[in-house]
Amino acid sequence: MTGRADRDRPVGTSARRRRFIRPVRVVVPLVSCAGVLVAWGLVAHNSGAGWVQAVGDVLAGILGVGLVAPAIVAARATVRIVEVPSDATAGLPVELVGIADTRLRVKPIDPPGPESYVGPHTTPTPVQPITLLPESRGVHDRVVLEVATAAPFGLLWWRKTVVVALPRTLHVGPRLGRPLALPGGGEDTSGGGVVDSSVQIGEPRGVRPYRPGDHRRWVHWPATAHSGELMVREMEGPSAEPVTLEIHLPADTDAAERMAERAMATVVALVDRGASVRLATTEASGPKIGAVGDRRSAGRRLARAVAEPDEFPWADPSPSGPRR
Amino acid sequence: MGGPEPIGAEAMNIFDAVKRANRPGPPEHSITLRVACAGAVVTGIAACRAEGELSWTVAGGSITLVIVGMVLAYRTRLRPLPWIKPILAISAVAAFVWFFRQLTGQAIYDVSTVENPLAVLFVWVQVAHAFDVPARRDLAFSLAGSASLMAVAAAQAIDLGFGVYVLVWLTCGLAGLIAMWSSASDGGRMRVGGIIATLGSVAVTGTVVLAVLPAPHVAGRIDFPSAAGPGAPLPVPGGLAGDTKVAQLAKPGTAAGRTRVGGFLGFSNRLDTALRGALGDTVVMRVRADRPSYWIGETFDTWDGANWMTTPTPHSPQRLEEDSPFILPGPTVPPATTSTDLQTFYVVQSSPNLVFHADTAHEVWFPTHNLFVSDHDSIVSPIGLGPGAIYTVESYVNTPSTEELRAAAGSSAVPASILEQDATVTHPYPRVKALAESVSAGRTTTYDKVESLIAWISKHTRYSTDIPPLAPGQDTVDEFLFGNRTGFCEQISTSLAVMLRSIGIPAREAVGYVPGPYNPITDLYDVQAKDAHAWVQVWFPGYGWQSFDPTAVVPLANPSPGSTLWHGATAALGRLPWVPIALVLMLSGAVALVVVLRRRRPRTWAEKAARGIESAGRRAGRRRRENETLTEYAWAIDQLAGDRSGTWQALAGIVEASAYGGRHPTPEDDRQILASMRALRGELPRAGVLVGPGALRRNAPERRRSSPPPRGAGGTPSTDGDD
Repeated sequence: MTGRADRDRPVGTSARRRRFIRPVRVVVPLVSCAGVLVAWGLVAHNSGAGWVQAVGDVLAGILGVGLVAPAIVAARATVRIVEVPSDATAGLPVELVGIADTRLRVKPIDPPGPESYVGPHTTPTPVQPITLLPESRGVHDRVVLEVATAAPFGLLWWRKTVVVALPRTLHVGPRLGRPLALPGGGEDTSGGGVVDSSVQIGEPRGVRPYRPGDHRRWVHWPATAHSGELMVREMEGPSAEPVTLEIHLPADTDAAERMAERAMATVVALVDRGASVRLATTEASGPKIGAVGDRRSAGRRLARAVAEPDEFPWADPSPSGPRR
Repeated sequence: MGGPEPIGAEAMNIFDAVKRANRPGPPEHSITLRVACAGAVVTGIAACRAEGELSWTVAGGSITLVIVGMVLAYRTRLRPLPWIKPILAISAVAAFVWFFRQLTGQAIYDVSTVENPLAVLFVWVQVAHAFDVPARRDLAFSLAGSASLMAVAAAQAIDLGFGVYVLVWLTCGLAGLIAMWSSASDGGRMRVGGIIATLGSVAVTGTVVLAVLPAPHVAGRIDFPSAAGPGAPLPVPGGLAGDTKVAQLAKPGTAAGRTRVGGFLGFSNRLDTALRGALGDTVVMRVRADRPSYWIGETFDTWDGANWMTTPTPHSPQRLEEDSPFILPGPTVPPATTSTDLQTFYVVQSSPNLVFHADTAHEVWFPTHNLFVSDHDSIVSPIGLGPGAIYTVESYVNTPSTEELRAAAGSSAVPASILEQDATVTHPYPRVKALAESVSAGRTTTYDKVESLIAWISKHTRYSTDIPPLAPGQDTVDEFLFGNRTGFCEQISTSLAVMLRSIGIPAREAVGYVPGPYNPITDLYDVQAKDAHAWVQVWFPGYGWQSFDPTAVVPLANPSPGSTLWHGATAALGRLPWVPIALVLMLSGAVALVVVLRRRRPRTWAEKAARGIESAGRRAGRRRRENETLTEYAWAIDQLAGDRSGTWQALAGIVEASAYGGRHPTPEDDRQILASMRALRGELPRAGVLVGPGALRRNAPERRRSSPPPRGAGGTPSTDGDD
C-alpha cells in the first residue's frame, strides 16, 4: 500500500486526494491546439476580418476549456467503492463496484488492475466494475487508484492518484503453488488422520444405528427396512488429529510469496484429503495458530501472514512439513 | 551486443513509428458524434456558399456527397472498403492540381481569384475525407476541417448575418466534442449542470480573449480585397455616377427630389447647400480601417453663394492605367510626420462611383484596369459601384500636433495656385469678413484663427436638419451667420470656409462619410446614409490640407473590440432601470428564501425531533457524522454530557421508533418531548445532566446502556424529509 493513511475517514466514503493533478500525453494535444490557434491567428491577421477573430476567440475559448477544464474536473472528482468481496486470490481478478460523481477512467495502482470507467453513463447500463488484479497476497482496506478525465471535450486527459477506503477489508490469498510432499494415506494405521487420499469429508462410509441428534435426512431407509432398526448413514469425518503447518515467511517479498503459495497448496491438499489443519503463522500482531477449515480461511490467514521480525532470508524458503 | 546497428535500422524505426501513428483507430460507433461532425462540415460549406465563395452547384453537390460519405463510412466502419483510400488519394491530388491551375497565369483583380478556389479546394478535401472516417480520430479531423471552411467563410463575412452560421457550427462542434469525450470515456454522460458550466466557461473565455486581443490588422497581406460587384462601365469616363448600379451620371439634388446619391446631395459635380438629403439608417458601406477617419469622397473649391462646385482644369481628371494596385500622384515616400492607414470599403448599397479614402490616398486596389483622379483629390471609378463592390485604399495620414500647426508658416508660404483657387470668394462678404476679423482678432497663427472661428460658430449657432430649404437667390452663409443661425453640416462648414477665405486663409469644402458605429464582431465601421458629412479643409504649409469639422468631433482613439464591448456593455447597463430591477431581485430572493425554508422544514415529528437532537449536538460542539445513526449520535451526546442514564439515547430511540417502527408518541407526548429537548439542549454543555421527563421514560425502548449501540437495521432517520 502506498499513499496517505486516512484512518479517520469512515469506511466506504470517498477519499479525495488533493495530489498534484497532471496531464496525460500533453504534447500532442497542446501542440495541435496551439497550431490551430496560430493558423487561425494568421488567417485573422492576414484577412483583417473581424469575424475570423471573433470565431477564433470562441475557438480559443473552446480549446482553452478543453485543455484546462479536465484538470478542474479531475481535481474535484471523487470516487467511492461501495462493494468489494472479502476474499480474493493473487493473480485472479477481483471486481469492485465504484461510483463517481463524474465519468472517470480508473486504473488501479495498488493493487494493480486494468483500466475501467466509472461514473454517469449515457444509458442505464449495469454497474461497471473496477477490476483489480492483485499480484501478491495481502490485506487491503483501501486501494490506490489513478483517476483520469478529459471532460468535457476529450481533448486532453488529466489524472490524479487517490486513495479510496474500501467498505470492508479485502484479503488477497496467495496463489496455489506446488504443495509439499505429504505422507501417503497407507502410513496411517490409527484410523484417524489422513486415511485415504480418495476419501472426502462427507462421503458415505457406511450405516449405523440412529442416535439422538442425527438429522432425519441421514436415515438410510433400505438399511432400516433390512434391519428393522432405524439406521442412518455414517459419513467420513475429519481426521481425529489435526495437522499443524508452521509457516515462517522470509523477509524477502518474492520468497515469502512463493512460500505462501506452497503453504496454500499444501493446506488445500490436506483439507481436500479430509485432514484437520492448523496453521501457525506470524501476523503483524504476533504469532497466531488456528484451525483452517477451508481454502478461504487459509487464504485469509496467509494473506495476513508476515515475516518474523528477526527472521533472515532463508536459504531454502519452504514451510515446515506437516506436523502431527 | 553493442555493435553498430545495421544500416536502415533507424529508418525502419521511423517507418514503424509513422506506420504506428497512422494505424487506424478502433471503429467509432457514436452516431451523435458522426451527425455532429457532418453538421459542422455541412454548415461550413453552407457558410462558404453564403459568402459567395461557392456556387450553388458546388455547395449542393458537396453537401450531398458529405452526407453520403458519412453514412457509407458509418456502415463500413468495422470493415472499411479497401479501394476507398486510393480513390480518395487520387481525388485529393486532383484537387490540388486543379487549385494550382486556377491560380497559374491569372491576374489577380478580384478577391474570388484566390479565395474561391481555396474554398473549393477545402470543400473537395472535406468531401473526400467524409468517405473515410471509420474512427474517432478521423471524425476529429473532419471537425477541424470544418473549422477551416468557417475560417474561409469568415474572412469574407462583413455582417452579423454570418452569426447564424457561426452559432450552428458552434453547436455542432460543441456537440461533437462532447460526444467525442463521451465516446472516449466509454459512454460518459454529462450532466446538465456540467454542460451549462462548460458553455459558460467557453463564453467567458472567448469574451475575455476577444476583449484582450487587439483588432486584427491587414498590413501583412500580399494582396488586398477588391471586387467589382455588379457595376457596369460608365458612358462618360471619369464622370460621377448616380446612386444606382445602373451606369448613370449623377445629377444634383433639387427641392423636389431631395434623395439623390446615397441619400446625400453632395456626391455629384455640385453641392447645393440649400438642401439636405433625406438620410436614413441604411448601411451604405462597411469599412475596415486602422483608425476612424473622415472618409473623403470629393472636395469643392468654388463657392457661388449657394453651391459648391469644382473648377474644371484641362488635365483633370487624370486617367491611371497601370492596373491595380494604382499608385496615385503625390509623394511616393511619406513625410516623417505621416502614418499609413489601410482601409477596405465594402459597398452594401448602390453608391456613387467615388473611391472614398482617408486623408491623402496613396495606393488603391481596385478591380478595374484604370482609375481617374481629379486635381481636387477625388478618385473616380470607371464603373458604377453597387452591392458587393470592394476596394482597398492606403492613405498617408498627416497628423501634425497643435504646436506644429501653430508653428506652420503663414499665408506667405502658401502656393499661389492654392491662394488663387482656395482663398478667394466669388463675391464680397463684407459682413462675414468683419465678423471673421473681429472673432480672430489677436490671433496670429492660422491654426488659432481657425480654432477661434470654430469656437464662435459652436457658441452662436445651432445644428438642425429640420429647417426649410433656402429660397432661391438667398446666400447660405449670410442666412446662416446673420439669419436664424441654424443649419446643418453643409451650411456650418460652408460658413467656416467662407469666413476663412474672407480673411485670406485657404479653405475648401470636403464631403464624404464619417465612421458609423463600430461593430466589434465584424471589426467594421457600419457607415450609414446619415453619416454623410461635409467639413472644411484648411491648407497649412508643410502639412497640406488639414480637416476641421465645426459640426462634430471625430473620436480620436482607435477603438479596440474589447474597449468597444466594455463601453457598450457599461452604457447598456447604465441605461437599465435599476430600481425596478433591484426590487424584482429582492422580491425574487425573498420568494426563493421562503421556498427553500419551507422545503427544509421538517415534515414529520420524527424529522423535527431528529433535527433537534442534531442541533443540540452541534451546540455542544459535536456534529453528526455521515455514517452515524441517530442512536449512535445520541449516545455520543450522552457521553459528552456525562449522562449515564442515556437521556438523549432514549430520545433517539423514540424518534427511530416513530420513523421506522410506526410507534408514534401521542400528540401530548410529542409536545412534551420537544419541550424537554429544548430544555435539555440548554443544559447540555454542563456535565452530569440527569434530566428525563416521564414521557421519555414511558416511550423509550429498552436502550439503557453506556456502550455505543450497534447500527440498527433501520439506519438513520432522514432529516431531508424523504422518509
